[in-house]
Amino acid sequence: MNQMPALLSIITFLPLLGAILLLFVNKNSHAVARGIALGVSLIVFLVSIPLITGFQNNAEFQFVELVPWITAGPFQMNYHVGIDGISLWLVILTTFIMPIAILSTWTAVEEKVKEYMICLLLLEVGMIGAFIALDLFLFYIFWEVMLIPMYFIIGIWGGKNKLYAAMKFFIYTMVGSLLMLVALIALYFKAGGGDFNLLKFYQLSLDPGTQTWMFLAFALAFAIKVPMFPLHTWLPDAHTEAPTAGSVILAAVLLKMGTYGFVRFAMPLFPLATAQFTPLIATLSVIGIIYAALVAMVQEDVKKLVAYSSVAHLGFVMLGVFAINQQGIAGGMLQMLNHGVSTGALFLIVGFIYERRHTRLITDFGGLSKQMPVFATIFMIVTLSSIGLPGTNGFVGEFLVLIGSFESSIRWYSVIATSGVILSAVYMLWMFQRVMFGELSNPKNQVLKDLNAREVAIMLPLLVLIFFMGVYPRPFIDKMTPSIENLVQHVKTKQAAANQPVAQSVPAQAVQAAPVPLPQAATPAEVK
Amino acid sequence: MTINDLWSVMPLVILAGGALLILLAGAVRPGGFGTGLGVVATLGAVAWTVAMPLFFTSPTLGIAFGPFARFFSTVFLLAAAVTLLLSHHYNRGRGIRGEEYPATVLFAAFGMVVVSASTNLLILFLGVEAMTFAFYILAAIDLNRSESAEAGLKYLLLGAISAACIAFGIALLYGASGTLNTREAARLTLAVTGSDPLALAGWGMLLVGIAFKISLVPAHLWTPDVYQGAPTPVVAFLSTASKGTAIVFVLLLLWEGGGGKALHGPLWGLSLLSMVTGNLAALLQSNVRRMLAYSSIAQMGYVMLAFLGGPGEGFTAVILYVVAYTAMNLAAFGAVATLSGGGAGEEIDDLRGMGYSRPFPAAVLALAVFALAGIPPTVGFIGKFFIFYAAFRGGEVPLAIIGILTAAASAFYYLRVVVNLYMHPTRLPEERSTSITETLALAASAVAILFIGIYPAPLLQAIGRLIP
Repeated sequence: MNQMPALLSIITFLPLLGAILLLFVNKNSHAVARGIALGVSLIVFLVSIPLITGFQNNAEFQFVELVPWITAGPFQMNYHVGIDGISLWLVILTTFIMPIAILSTWTAVEEKVKEYMICLLLLEVGMIGAFIALDLFLFYIFWEVMLIPMYFIIGIWGGKNKLYAAMKFFIYTMVGSLLMLVALIALYFKAGGGDFNLLKFYQLSLDPGTQTWMFLAFALAFAIKVPMFPLHTWLPDAHTEAPTAGSVILAAVLLKMGTYGFVRFAMPLFPLATAQFTPLIATLSVIGIIYAALVAMVQEDVKKLVAYSSVAHLGFVMLGVFAINQQGIAGGMLQMLNHGVSTGALFLIVGFIYERRHTRLITDFGGLSKQMPVFATIFMIVTLSSIGLPGTNGFVGEFLVLIGSFESSIRWYSVIATSGVILSAVYMLWMFQRVMFGELSNPKNQVLKDLNAREVAIMLPLLVLIFFMGVYPRPFIDKMTPSIENLVQHVKTKQAAANQPVAQSVPAQAVQAAPVPLPQAATPAEVK
Repeated sequence: MTINDLWSVMPLVILAGGALLILLAGAVRPGGFGTGLGVVATLGAVAWTVAMPLFFTSPTLGIAFGPFARFFSTVFLLAAAVTLLLSHHYNRGRGIRGEEYPATVLFAAFGMVVVSASTNLLILFLGVEAMTFAFYILAAIDLNRSESAEAGLKYLLLGAISAACIAFGIALLYGASGTLNTREAARLTLAVTGSDPLALAGWGMLLVGIAFKISLVPAHLWTPDVYQGAPTPVVAFLSTASKGTAIVFVLLLLWEGGGGKALHGPLWGLSLLSMVTGNLAALLQSNVRRMLAYSSIAQMGYVMLAFLGGPGEGFTAVILYVVAYTAMNLAAFGAVATLSGGGAGEEIDDLRGMGYSRPFPAAVLALAVFALAGIPPTVGFIGKFFIFYAAFRGGEVPLAIIGILTAAASAFYYLRVVVNLYMHPTRLPEERSTSITETLALAASAVAILFIGIYPAPLLQAIGRLIP
């Protein structure tokens, strides 16, 4: 299979070219700026499709590019990128959601359009780069590159409390990433110098104490991004204040950076520490699921409600990922995509009504379904997808997560987490009912216009995906399966190898976990 | 003095000749081409330094233009050229006329090149003082503002103390080692600081003097006042090249003494105090230049941390950070100089909405503060990465962690600049165009920040050739 040369680089840096092109656009020609940004993001999406078609279903990294980058001094950093089944879909999710996010700003952002588009495109560079980087140093650079555009998006185009939200977002992320930087340098020492190749670091066998500290440093950075309870407090602020496109990207892609970080870095690099911290992470995930659901229930502001529902959903993702078995991780990965699609769609929906009414308070609405039937239908579908109704995408992911975690060492956590599924139905449906049904009493709501063609066009691809992924998730799972199997095997082998010599120090959960691989070999086939 | 000596000091001849020519031309045609001549002279000296065909050394003069001297001369001379470009428009707007200004900038650069090329303690001292003397004048050159005179006086008084300390320290080192050769004297005396009180006292005096020059806590109190009072382009030059020269001083002394290990205690303390005090004090400032002054104190704390990393990685990190810091602070103060005017540009709040009324200088300022905060892909990140790497490598884990934490805290005050530039509702947009010279200077420093940040390999290779 000859793969197109430098395809990943083209996908990553096309948005940068677009941003540079935008610099030369007159700042008052908004239509041109929007057109260029949309065009570039669409081209990026089209160019990224060959990634799916050209992807071989195996665990290898593909579309790899390796170019020496910094070769002087004590270091060897490479521009080393590539994707496997885990990152493939996240890259596609990013390129897919970007045109939608840009299209959603068409009438929402009227000021400083050019700068807004530049920020969005730069953000895309950082996001794709972070997903494809196989060199830890390169990953760190892209990871931080995402920070600045998002900071500007919240801080310039945000709502009333934008400065507070932007600063909080920045400081939280920065603290996390600086600690990760420390661990990264320490890891480099342990590896004995050379380059920052991630695959090389995978082969290291670190002693448990070192793993603990490094895992904590990496995990903190990722947990802030996810965000996990109790580090989630920046998220409702950032989401609420960010403009619609910012919220969509934040929810759909940026949060996945955290969970992806766990899957790609924290777990395979520090398998012993992973085993050690699994109960803690599972506890925090379950608290996150329940707590966020309860808080979501009492929110007055639709956007805040959706933001808290994000925290709950990401709790499921973390639970699945830390089951460390085929279904759990597959479910977690699938749930990342689902969350990107359905929560992205929810933020778009919130954006639609906010643009019309300039309020997001639930009490200001009611009975909208009479006035806006198309909107009501779409909203209903997305709500059901977010709840995880069978037939929609949300169901498959949540189901796999719960199965996976039930069959792993964190069985009882998954039992509690199941109640989160019910709670999510409660707060979502209750919100939907209060906004869409009932009396159309508010005179301002009686003159609302239904969605226009552009808005329907934005939602349509998302709706198609909701059903497609719900009914036929197999293509998605098939592509990621080999990589996940590889990951699970890698982690388990390392854990087993470390536990063999000192039999008495085997942690209880490792003993439980050992028999799990056997039944798991059979179940993926059933799920497919 | 042989013809060989003359060739070896050619960059100095070009600078001094350029300065004299400016003064002479001023007598014939006042207010003519001072800036132009100055830039030509500095760039000419850079061209000569870079392209110098042979390795000239002149033992009789105590000057050697080896790779080390060439590297730093290039950095400082480029900084001088950028300063001249920045000052042109600024000075005209504030009635700083005459040829003294560009000529003095050249004299300061002269001193910096002497320090970089010196092999002899006396020449080193003369170089430092030649530079400092020029800065006494430059700090006080704005006759229309009393703050400028105050800054000049403060700098003069503390500079005199610092010069006395350095001179005394050099004398003691000479007494203890019996040689004036910088590396020899340093090596011999560093080995005996434990047993020889003369050597210990000499190093102590030297460190005090240098701490003043680099403005390390607790010898930093002049910095905010001088930075606030002196003309902003002068501050750009003072905060970058002059501090860089003082760091070169330290590098020359420690070059063969096993790096910062020999002075571990004092450097450790200076680094810790500077990082913590600088960053915390910067949080409280409302004046842009005072904020940047405290930030520069903190930045120097990071450089001291790099010194602790030992000769290999440590010196690499120091030299890289000197370059990085020069680019960042030239951009930051240059942009502040460009944005200021008509009473604006004093307080951080004055920057409100500048991101929209003066997009280019504001963007450069934002880039500079992001770089100072150490965010990729800027040179500030690469510099900090190497510093923390060197510190870990040298076993300075606790201090490195403190440094990283203070760096995280510093993001807060750096971001305040960005917030004011972009995130407040715009006042009436006062569109003022940026002059060509300023644009050129800012563009040059911004390109340096980004280029080295994204592709540091060439610079690192150049530095690698300097490291013993």
